[in-house]
Amino acid sequence: MSSNLLKSILFLFCLSFSGFNLLSAQNEGLFKGQVVDVTNSDLLPGASIYWEDELSGGVISDLDGNFEIKIGKLPRRLVITFVGYEKTIREITEKEVVKFQKFFLKPEELSLEEVIIRDRRPDEQIKNLETGKATIPIETIKNIPALFGEVDLFRSLQLLPGVQSAGEGTGGLFVRGGSADQNLIQIDGAPVYNASHFFGFFSVFNPDALEKVELYKGNMPASFGGRLSSLIDVSLREGNNKQIRGEGGIGTISSRFTLDGPLFSEKSTFAISARRTYADVFLGFSSNPDVKNNKLNFHDLSGKFAFLLGEKDKLTFSTYQGSDFLGLERSFGLGWSNFVNSLKWNHSYSKDAYFDLEAYHSIYNYKIEFDDPDNGFVWKNQLSESGLKAQWTLLRGENLQTYWGVHSQYYHFAPIALIPAPGSNIQSIDTNPKSGVLNNLFAGMTYEISPKLSTEAGLRWGLFNQIGKGVDYTYAGGIPGPDVAITDTLNYSQFENIKFYQGLEPRIAFRYLINSQFSIKTAYNRNFQYVQIASNSSAGLPIDRWILAGTYVPPVRSDQVSLGFFHNFNQDKWELSLETYYKDFNNIIDLRNGASVLFTDNVETELLVGKGWAYGAEFLLRKNQGKTTGWFSYTYSRTWRQIEGVSQGLKYNPRYDRPNDFSIVVNHEFSNSWSAGLTFVYSTGQAVSFPIGSYQADRQNVPLYSEFRNEDRYPNYHRMDASITWRNPNKGRKWRGSWNASIYNLYGRKNPFAYTFGDIINDDINYDSSTDGPVTSIRPGIIMTYLFTFLPSITYNFEF
Amino acid sequence: MSNRWLIGLVFLIASCQIEVELPLAEIKGEIPVIEGIWTDNPILNEVKVTLAKNFLDQDSYTVIKNARVFIRVKGTDTIIPFNYFESTQSYRPLDTDIVAKVGESYELLVEWKKIIFYGEGLMLEPPTLDSLTYQYEEKRPFREEGYYIKAYGKIPFKEDNYYRIQVIENDTLKNEPEDYFLFDDTFGFTFFENGLELGYAFEPDDRVRLILYRMNKAPYNYLNQLLGLLFSDGGLFSPPPQNPDTNLKVVSGESSVLGYFLVSPILTELVIIKEE
Repeated sequence: MSSNLLKSILFLFCLSFSGFNLLSAQNEGLFKGQVVDVTNSDLLPGASIYWEDELSGGVISDLDGNFEIKIGKLPRRLVITFVGYEKTIREITEKEVVKFQKFFLKPEELSLEEVIIRDRRPDEQIKNLETGKATIPIETIKNIPALFGEVDLFRSLQLLPGVQSAGEGTGGLFVRGGSADQNLIQIDGAPVYNASHFFGFFSVFNPDALEKVELYKGNMPASFGGRLSSLIDVSLREGNNKQIRGEGGIGTISSRFTLDGPLFSEKSTFAISARRTYADVFLGFSSNPDVKNNKLNFHDLSGKFAFLLGEKDKLTFSTYQGSDFLGLERSFGLGWSNFVNSLKWNHSYSKDAYFDLEAYHSIYNYKIEFDDPDNGFVWKNQLSESGLKAQWTLLRGENLQTYWGVHSQYYHFAPIALIPAPGSNIQSIDTNPKSGVLNNLFAGMTYEISPKLSTEAGLRWGLFNQIGKGVDYTYAGGIPGPDVAITDTLNYSQFENIKFYQGLEPRIAFRYLINSQFSIKTAYNRNFQYVQIASNSSAGLPIDRWILAGTYVPPVRSDQVSLGFFHNFNQDKWELSLETYYKDFNNIIDLRNGASVLFTDNVETELLVGKGWAYGAEFLLRKNQGKTTGWFSYTYSRTWRQIEGVSQGLKYNPRYDRPNDFSIVVNHEFSNSWSAGLTFVYSTGQAVSFPIGSYQADRQNVPLYSEFRNEDRYPNYHRMDASITWRNPNKGRKWRGSWNASIYNLYGRKNPFAYTFGDIINDDINYDSSTDGPVTSIRPGIIMTYLFTFLPSITYNFEF
Repeated sequence: MSNRWLIGLVFLIASCQIEVELPLAEIKGEIPVIEGIWTDNPILNEVKVTLAKNFLDQDSYTVIKNARVFIRVKGTDTIIPFNYFESTQSYRPLDTDIVAKVGESYELLVEWKKIIFYGEGLMLEPPTLDSLTYQYEEKRPFREEGYYIKAYGKIPFKEDNYYRIQVIENDTLKNEPEDYFLFDDTFGFTFFENGLELGYAFEPDDRVRLILYRMNKAPYNYLNQLLGLLFSDGGLFSPPPQNPDTNLKVVSGESSVLGYFLVSPILTELVIIKEE
């Protein structure tokens, strides 16, 4: 209503003060059209329409957005302008002039600072109480140069201080010294257990489907918990309630499409998204049957449906389904998938009191099939988490905000099942299920003690039970080990308590405002984690074994203190922050040498338990406004583990300890049509173990390693990526396209993915005895595998 | 196995390999490597004692020829002395009639530079290896065309089920990392009773000998971990590389030691492929 009124006023304003003439209907020689807002199909009265070569003959659109203008000699370029909208220029030909034309005007592109203003005040980082929190606007993520042109959320988060990557090309996140399974990744409140495609090269998040993402590096509000190191809170986009809109892209390896709009009426909306790769389509064109018969693909589907149930109630349903499949030679298949659903009810008692109720269910499963007449099998596993969360929020004036609630989580890890194919000679394997219930009570408040001093305090109390149905074992001497005898097997019935743990998780933060541009913040928080992955590889695999806290596996605990200095300058165009932290881990696990955890019911016999700690300083300088935006970040951090049975019981660095980490992200808009992005990353090489020697055993030349883990380093990692985007100049058409060209690893840096230490025959690292003749020499050598040097890609994006 | 899928995937996407130089640390002091094999087959019985060397050292491994080596029947005074033989560059029993007996435990003792290294193992009862058959197969997924051998046998044991199969083709031991065949009872033994197919394509007139070991858990774990190390690329998806856990220890003196002591019954079977 107000929008229409505003447009009418603008129309009258233009009518009164412009030199244009509002033309009434005439006869021949007139070109007729209508001016419409592309985002909601609102008619635009008062738009100026004129021929580019005849400024004096312009007209103004009427209250219905209609206009008529004398044609003259064609072809001619018609210009349409309107306050707050992008100028449109379209060439009109003899063919077009005979038809009534609609011209879709696009509201002026929201620049980056405007996106931030909408979500976040310019002085947000000075005034809020959040430390260790980072956000990247989705528009910024879309502008960051991407591997294979696939804009990726995780890869963008890796550019923030305090967030490390697992290695070249991978999207795993290691936040402030924590391992990848210590990140709580959730879509609209529901957890995602494996948020990666292609073994971690891409994340499951289609950027078009996202509304926002928030990263808490440990200091998360008391309403969240269950992981030690971070919360990655992803919100799916809600649809608009005016008209159907679409957007998508056709890329080098995948395409995506998103549709949103009203559902039934203005009080309900939908937004659905899909993405699929087509690498396997190209494999099919290969003449080599070894390649042709392989499959390699992933897809994502997501949807969000919102319903206004009145002035005080809103219901939202979000869903995500995604899967990967790798097939080899038509006989071997590996697939994994996530299916995540959440339902939210928001109720407003008054303008100061709210209630939110959320229910979710998240399933992750994988399946491996081997089609073989003698040894065929199907190996599958599934884990799920269901949750119910209720939260009340009460505002008491501007100084006090309080919230409290309850969050119940039910974990169920299904038995790992290996089922022989009919006629197969192998024996089936069926482990026992594991289940757990975690009930959390939480409360928190934000209180402005004085205009300068504010505090945020919260407490979360987790009560965890590992429950039946299941089996637990008793070991001789009470301590499990690979060679320790099992003295008893205990069977538990459905929901019977097996082991109970509880823990208080306090969180407290203070902010002192020195002036409107400078603040100091400090925080302390404790977290417990009751589920984790039993693995000692750095990057996650789809078949990783998740385990629950239980009789022999205590929950992991972390304590973190942080101190930060925050400064805005140049009218909040620039943000500067320096945060330091120290973090302590307890009951961290690792695996014994040669541990096998995939098919065993006795995972505890393969585990080693110890402690860890991490510390660091994170510097961020960010420019949020203007034609040029971006940030520079530098992190100095160290991460240590100390576990009896590893590295002689002495402290060691996990692989992702990378002391120096440095990123530059720059985006620049040259014009309405052209923009470009550039990123540069530099970090210390991964901590690894190189052999110190070799020896002969069982007729093999075997590399010999030090007894101390990860004393060596890969070479330092660095890479520059660039992209350029061209948007089709606005011609007033509903369909708008743009092209994006990216180059990953612009200067072709050969960053190592892996090293192999072995024999090099005949000075040829690819020696093949069947084709390369007799062996004339053998010597030890080191072969480096590297990925993705100078990898260009191109993507066509569109919206309508 | 999962790592191998991943490596394959990565290569499929985009990868290159080059030879590089890295600053590698060096071994401090001398680290002896002992491989002791004690079976009921005198041909296989030997103890090798060598030294580890720096990784990029192109010299051959140093063989220790002056160690004192013997095997003792545990709980008895029976000692089986070993002498060094240049022809095999290993220590072998002088009396080849003495072999391992089922049910006896054996202790390996190696003395070198006043350091005594010790390992022990139990001689287990052998399973049954009934026969070898072969059949021509067309090309299949992951298998080339050729003659494939199946081994039939029976494993009736409820514990200590740790086995290894070695294949000798025309007097050449198949000993590449991908040739290792180690198995335990994780997947049962029906596949052995119904015919265990060896994963090699043979040709007519090939003489193929199969050797079946039944090991104690420690040497089985050693070989399994050694195999894992040979396949490890040290990358993100591999566990941190560690030396296999040896079942040898130093009982006198100070030193590190690598290697293993394996006590096992041996079953062998020979088949000559005839064109069908």
